[in-house]
Amino acid sequence: MLARISYALRETFASLRRNVTLTAAAIVTSAVSLLLVGSTFLIQRAFDNLLTRWKGDVELIVYIRSDASVEQIQLVEDALRSQPSVIDVDRLRYLDQAESYAEAEKLFAGDPGTLRLLTPENIPSQFKVVPIAEDSSLVRELGEQFRQLAGVKEVAYAQDVFDVVSRVSQFIRVATTAMSIILLVVAVGLIWNTIRTAMFARRREIEVMKLVGATNWFIRIPFMLEGLLQGLIGGVLACGGLWGLNSAWSGAVDDFNDTELAALVVSDGYVSGVMLVLLLIGALAGAVGSGIAASRFLDV
Amino acid sequence: MIRLENVTKSYSAEVTALRDVSFEIPKGEFVFLVGPSGSGKSTLLRLMNRQEVPEKGSVWVAGKNINDLPESKIPFLRRSMGNIFQDYKLLLNKTVFENVAFALEVIGRPRHVIRQQVPAVLELVGLADKSDRFPHQLSGGEQQRVSIARAFVNRPLILLADEPTGNLDPTTGEGIMRLLERINSTGTTVVMATHDTRVVNMMRRRVVQLDRGIIVRDQERGVYD
Repeated sequence: MLARISYALRETFASLRRNVTLTAAAIVTSAVSLLLVGSTFLIQRAFDNLLTRWKGDVELIVYIRSDASVEQIQLVEDALRSQPSVIDVDRLRYLDQAESYAEAEKLFAGDPGTLRLLTPENIPSQFKVVPIAEDSSLVRELGEQFRQLAGVKEVAYAQDVFDVVSRVSQFIRVATTAMSIILLVVAVGLIWNTIRTAMFARRREIEVMKLVGATNWFIRIPFMLEGLLQGLIGGVLACGGLWGLNSAWSGAVDDFNDTELAALVVSDGYVSGVMLVLLLIGALAGAVGSGIAASRFLDV
Repeated sequence: MIRLENVTKSYSAEVTALRDVSFEIPKGEFVFLVGPSGSGKSTLLRLMNRQEVPEKGSVWVAGKNINDLPESKIPFLRRSMGNIFQDYKLLLNKTVFENVAFALEVIGRPRHVIRQQVPAVLELVGLADKSDRFPHQLSGGEQQRVSIARAFVNRPLILLADEPTGNLDPTTGEGIMRLLERINSTGTTVVMATHDTRVVNMMRRRVVQLDRGIIVRDQERGVYD
């Protein structure tokens, strides 16, 4: 048994050394495709986090004109508080102009043009309203009533934004999934080709092995190990890349700490889970690709 | 040891390699298969180690019909036979020792067995002092001895030889024949395809002559013709 294992390992590494260029190409392709697969997972997770947060959070924002009087604002607040069956009055939040501006500064940090148009004086203050009614038409009805109130500038429904984000996220989900599948197929193809080349270079050896009575598995295993290693190394590189991408992303999102965008951060536990999946996919794709290639060339 | 019953094998509609061939080789015999190129000698050998399967008829080795052998059992059939070829089929990147050890290694023999058996068989073929050489550093006769050592190291019941003296000069070929004779004397059945008239006449063993896929002569202690 020990002799077989040491033989398989020796052959695997010798073969990897012999085809450095092809091996490198196969590893890089699998790394890139796996990185894309991983990114797909993380992007999806980030959007899901954001959508979940929005769903359970603010769904209605009542913007108050910047020139509204204190009485008018009080009137709006009283009207909102008189609807405990539709909205969660305990989570009703009023952001005055200074607070609204602070939020806008963060939201539009990357968009100085828009920010320049806003000042703490002209920005509308806002009530953030969390509905509790399940029926969204009830919420809309209420919103329409508030639009009529003096001092109210606009009523915005998070549902609208939610729908847009949902659609965008759906599109990204499909696009990235399709791309990663295509790249994964390419990676398997490259691994297949590397193994085929390796086997062609050693066809004489394989012929002798078959004639002296080596089993097909004995011949196949070093090649499958080689493919598995290529996929696995690709997976490790992809994990490194994913970790780098995610920490850069988390760092960037950190600047929006107290806005909804903070929900775009993906937890470390989930990232580790995705990495494990990438390693598994890499190893499996490599082993299967090379196993098929090896089987095809064993009919001596 | 080996029995063929009404074996027919063709490679295409036009090329029929063997037509309804039947004969038997008892254990421990030394048999020459002779005949011109294309007469079916190599095909016979390839049927015996399951590199080919006949269309009709059956091939029996050591009491088993090997046509029915499942794919997974073929390696174990081949472990009971050694093969030598006109072109030796040595691995050029391995030393003499490694070439012979390879045959044991790939059937999973432990290292201490390899360390013990390889030098013994190299001694037998007269290459004990050349175990670290590479094939290109050896003469043709020496290379054929390495391939015989590789075929015999596992002590097979049967040795199949396809034109083993085809690339060698007469004196060297004679040395190879002496070696095969010695191996045969240990009880190993030897089947050798050849069209080397000289070695057949020298050995005076059973001769099975083929012509266009048919056995035209089967003679004890025969000569080439």
